[in-house]
Amino acid sequence: MSLSGHRNESQKILTQGDLIFAAQNRTKRIFTTNVAISWALLLLFLLFLFSGITFSIGGHTFKTIHLDTEFIKENVGFIASGVGVTIGISILSILLATILALLAALGRLSKIPPIYALSTFYVSLIRGTPLYLQIFFFFLALPQLGIILTGMFAGVLALGLNYGAYMSEIFRAGLSSVGKGQREAALALGMTPNQMMRRVVIPQALRFSIPPTGNEFIAMLKDSALVSATGFVHELMWRATRVGRAQFHNLEALIIAAVFYWIMTLVFSGLQGRLEAYMARGDR
Amino acid sequence: MKPIIKISHLDKYFGKLHVLKDVSLEIVPKEVCCVIGRSGSGKSTLLRCINFLEEPSEGIIEVDGLEVNVTVKGKQRRQLVHDLRLKTGMVFQEFNLFPHLSVIENVSEGPITVKNMDKANAIEIAEMNLKRVGMLDKRDEFPSRLSGGQKQRVAIARALAMEPQVMLFDEPTSALDPELIGEVLTVMKKLAEEGTTMMVVTHEMGFAQEVADRIIVLADGEIIEEGPPDQLFGNQQDKRTQALLERYIN
Repeated sequence: MSLSGHRNESQKILTQGDLIFAAQNRTKRIFTTNVAISWALLLLFLLFLFSGITFSIGGHTFKTIHLDTEFIKENVGFIASGVGVTIGISILSILLATILALLAALGRLSKIPPIYALSTFYVSLIRGTPLYLQIFFFFLALPQLGIILTGMFAGVLALGLNYGAYMSEIFRAGLSSVGKGQREAALALGMTPNQMMRRVVIPQALRFSIPPTGNEFIAMLKDSALVSATGFVHELMWRATRVGRAQFHNLEALIIAAVFYWIMTLVFSGLQGRLEAYMARGDR
Repeated sequence: MKPIIKISHLDKYFGKLHVLKDVSLEIVPKEVCCVIGRSGSGKSTLLRCINFLEEPSEGIIEVDGLEVNVTVKGKQRRQLVHDLRLKTGMVFQEFNLFPHLSVIENVSEGPITVKNMDKANAIEIAEMNLKRVGMLDKRDEFPSRLSGGQKQRVAIARALAMEPQVMLFDEPTSALDPELIGEVLTVMKKLAEEGTTMMVVTHEMGFAQEVADRIIVLADGEIIEEGPPDQLFGNQQDKRTQALLERYIN
């Protein structure tokens, strides 16, 4: 029984194509494994660098960086509770940015001069000034005009406006990715230009724009740290600098925050990859 | 019989290029009219001027009693063009199905959005027209999963679902692999037999010869010859028609 089974196995004829495919797969697997090992080594080296160990080689004594584990234990919870706020700001801001970006992109494609001008003016003004300045503007400059915004509101407004201006390019590309034939088919059915945009062009543009918007969201997670500058939004960065400065343990505090940012980025990048694969699976 | 399409003194310029030169023609109800001609002769432009996907430069287009003169501008013009498009169904060379919608949604989209029909009714009409083109079994597929021939049949159903007075076909088989042309032509032949008024821009001389009531030959933006297939394939008057039909005669 087992003998004949073995024989069948060995009789399976491998084509040259199969062999080449197998060899390529092997090369790819070896490469991936080696990359993973190197990553692990780099990570170990980083951990070692912050391990606080003292060692000597050939009479020379070396000291690695010492972290105050007591401080970390005491404050990691306080800093971690900023993760939710950071994600919250980013979600609110990306929603605002998406709406503004879509409007700006539509304006950019408009043939009506004031609308086109409004769109390009907005994008130029926002892209021509620093995000840091914009956050301060909404939080510190507007009160002088009698408009007082909370730190959270000013932050979301600034991040939303800023990202909206940059993301308008994404939506513009999305809108122009919808071919002329699609518009003609909609018009030939008797749709008005409005119906054509709403039912045919924008849905397709949005599908096209979802993956790059995911990338912007990941960037937003990190730029949301700037909102801590207002001093009134208790997100990751604000919490890290608060305990860090107060106890002169900025090293530990910032490392904790960095780890959280990094983990968030990794998680959302993973989700983003899945989203992209899911979107690519669909039509067209 | 009263014509259902009447084109009077149509001129079309692309910049300085004069692509349609004082074209006039009439099509009567239930007629199948094939327009043939070499690439660049202006035949697609002629078809696209009928539903104003191309703006005519001069002339009057009349479909089913609705007259649109190019001299009318502004809001009145937009309304007229909109009404004109409701009277004409169009099938494109590149199908132009909506990729984000399933087959049934593609076909019911027009009735729902343009005619404000309730969904159940629109789906019923869509299913009936998918059945007509033999695509009902693919009602829930997305266009990306269909072959070219299947896509074009769905596109025909989409145009039919609006119940137009006239069907315009702009080289409906030119983007298809040779083995897929037959299924589309079969559907078109069936529509012709059912009495659909059709204007077909095509390179398929076999189809024109078999199905058309009348063939119009276009060259350099002018109608150089027209008549029933027998006359045209048997006894052409113009040298350019002879050159065009060379391979199909005898």
